[in-house]
Amino acid sequence: MRRSISLFDSFQRLRSSLALARLLQNRSVILALLILVISIALSVLTPAFLSSRNLTFVITGMTYDLLLALGMTIVLLLWGIDLSVGSVLGLTAVVTTMLLQDGASIPLAIGVGMGVSALCGATNGFFVAYLNIAPFIVTLGMMSVARGIATVLTSGYFVSGLPDAYKAIGQGRLFNVPYMVYFALVVVVILAFLLRNWRPLREAFYIGTNPEAARLAGIRVALITLGGYVFCSMMAGTAAIFMTSRLSMGFFQFGLGAELKAIAAAVIGGASLRGGTGSIFGATLAVFLLALINNGFVLLQGSPNAQNVIMGGILVIAIMIDAYRRRELAED
Amino acid sequence: MTPVLEIRRASKSFGSHRVLHEVSFGVDAGEVHALVGENGAGKSTLMNIISGIHRRDAGEILLNGESIDPTDPWQARQLGISVVFQELSLTPNMTVAQNIFVRREPTSALGLVHWRQLNDDARALFERIGIDISPTELVGNYSVGIQQIIEIAKAISFDAKVLIMDEPTSALSESEVDRLFSIIAELKQQGVAIVFISHKLGEVLRIADRVSVLRDGEMVGVVNPSHSNQDEIIHMMVGRSLGDLYPAKGVVSDEILLEVEGLSHPPLFRDISFSLRRGEILGIAGLVGAGRTEVARAIFGADRYSRGSVKLAGIKLDLKSPRQAIEKGIVYLTEDRKVMGLFLSMTMRDNIVSSALARFTDALGLLKHRAIVNESLRAIKQNDIRPRDDLLSMTSLSGGNQQKSLLAKCLSANPKVLIADEPTRGVDVGAKVKIHQALRDLANRGIGVIVISSELPEVLGLSDRVVVFREGHVSAVLDGDNIAQADVMRYAVQ
Repeated sequence: MRRSISLFDSFQRLRSSLALARLLQNRSVILALLILVISIALSVLTPAFLSSRNLTFVITGMTYDLLLALGMTIVLLLWGIDLSVGSVLGLTAVVTTMLLQDGASIPLAIGVGMGVSALCGATNGFFVAYLNIAPFIVTLGMMSVARGIATVLTSGYFVSGLPDAYKAIGQGRLFNVPYMVYFALVVVVILAFLLRNWRPLREAFYIGTNPEAARLAGIRVALITLGGYVFCSMMAGTAAIFMTSRLSMGFFQFGLGAELKAIAAAVIGGASLRGGTGSIFGATLAVFLLALINNGFVLLQGSPNAQNVIMGGILVIAIMIDAYRRRELAED
Repeated sequence: MTPVLEIRRASKSFGSHRVLHEVSFGVDAGEVHALVGENGAGKSTLMNIISGIHRRDAGEILLNGESIDPTDPWQARQLGISVVFQELSLTPNMTVAQNIFVRREPTSALGLVHWRQLNDDARALFERIGIDISPTELVGNYSVGIQQIIEIAKAISFDAKVLIMDEPTSALSESEVDRLFSIIAELKQQGVAIVFISHKLGEVLRIADRVSVLRDGEMVGVVNPSHSNQDEIIHMMVGRSLGDLYPAKGVVSDEILLEVEGLSHPPLFRDISFSLRRGEILGIAGLVGAGRTEVARAIFGADRYSRGSVKLAGIKLDLKSPRQAIEKGIVYLTEDRKVMGLFLSMTMRDNIVSSALARFTDALGLLKHRAIVNESLRAIKQNDIRPRDDLLSMTSLSGGNQQKSLLAKCLSANPKVLIADEPTRGVDVGAKVKIHQALRDLANRGIGVIVISSELPEVLGLSDRVVVFREGHVSAVLDGDNIAQADVMRYAVQ
């Protein structure tokens, strides 16, 4: 008999006498332990790790990845995938900064940029949810189209000369921590709350588990799926705003390869490529873990060129674990 | 004369469920021997035993007087027994000839395929059965009817002495049936022994030399079609009493709850009209494929229909999705609980409330967890789902308890009308009785219940009235306590 976690049981779970054993089965706990071990190891191996400059670097760097991973978690939960997030980030970055360069007001530039990202998401969602085209194909197309438009718009040049007020969004700090870190944490908390309590997101679990049964149960499968893709793209758009303001420029190659990191983090955090599962805190911890591994690699003088190899390897391992976990479930 | 194929006292059980009991059956060279029986009478199992898909528990299979023991359909074919299954086994993207001789292509010493000989062989085969099909055409370009004939050509290309056909006409138009029958006549001439399994008694009487009737896994008799008629065969198929398995019938109000008028969506169903009264259990009988599920899904808003109307309590509905149907109070219990009904990897609790989340949502769209837990526990008690632990994953429940959970899921939505499609499929007798009682309790509470079932005793034992479907239309509406199974069967078959 397999007892599992219901969508609707926030209270009684940890009260069980098996609380400790359960705790160790909880993916977030495992991730937290891994993070602790790696942090201790890195602080012993290299004094540079604990410097405030390095920690700020790690945390700001992971903010972009975190936003993307949160969006990806929702899409994976819906049994979808979004390969276009990196490109949408690039396109939003280019559109927003070009408008600013042309003298548009900051709210207008951000508004249009976010609108572009939402439109990309809505296009993905429409093809997937209403025309029933495989998400892999749709978002692979969007990945190419969005990056292509960003390239055409800038002819490959940097977009610079941004107003100082805009740069303050990404460069401003409170208690020596950048604003965007607070922003991302607020998103994490709100999203985790909504994923537990908000009906459309609860229904996303049903959709990802069995879309046809969900439709027959009266769940708005298409609309919620569309919403998931829009949210995912807008998370990429948000990351683009922070990235361009922090780096004081826009560039068509921003977000290159970001989709792989986002998928890896979401899957390590508990999402499955086969839909129906996903955890906001899990994804958050996974992003942190990946950022630490990356940072350790750099601090220990690994070649930056090998980083992609490591990220790719981690992604494959995460997906293998996911496949294994599903097989166990199926044999149950 | 020894029969070409003879089965002697074959028995087969799956677990404690006896499917075949000491069944004997024989077919002579140049004979068409039909095998008929209700759904679940054991026809398919008998065929699977002959073709080696299942192993028999007892009994003997003789081919030309010699005992054989095929272990898979391929081996049975090598012995001369070919089966044409209901589901076609052809690959649409390959040519006709490639399909027929798959794995047996004539090759040169180097292992290269002799294409010309392959096509010539196919052509010779078609000549033998007197039909004109191009061997080089892709199979996918032909209609299902022609594909059925290609399938038969493939079956006899193994130099078949015995050809077994399972419902070969189910997907064929009338002219295609005629063509199939002329091919069967041709094969008879050539001395092939043919076993013809079908529901359509009209066709059976037309083509068969002998008809064997199976009922509940036992051979109840062999008749000669020229000295028999459909009625006699139907009585042999269904002759048994219902017993006291079914709950007492209730009092049906005169108030019409659901009215279906002229519902059509060709070619699936045409001009379907019936009404359902408050507190009534309306049975829908008919053969698999008669359009019952399609009509139910159309009423529920899961599929579209092209003409006709559905009225609930006198108000015309125009449902565009199951969500709207559930809002209006119409709920559908699907026939396929694993694929379309349940969320198997989720918990019992998640499943039970899945159709009713609207009831547990506050103004902000946030869910009321406490109310959900209470509803789930209440439903488990009410429907007697075991074990009483609503955090168990659906996969760890038995079929009967899964089915009860599916019913609980439908009921959580507080329906006015429940359409239950095969509500007891694949459940044990105990769960069956409980589900029957639950359906009658619902009707007694004033809910209109439609029960679709392929098991005639169930439809008759449970229903206040019975609508019979045949090939996408309503062939009869039968009223009263004493509807005979034979009557329903007569309207369900041709």
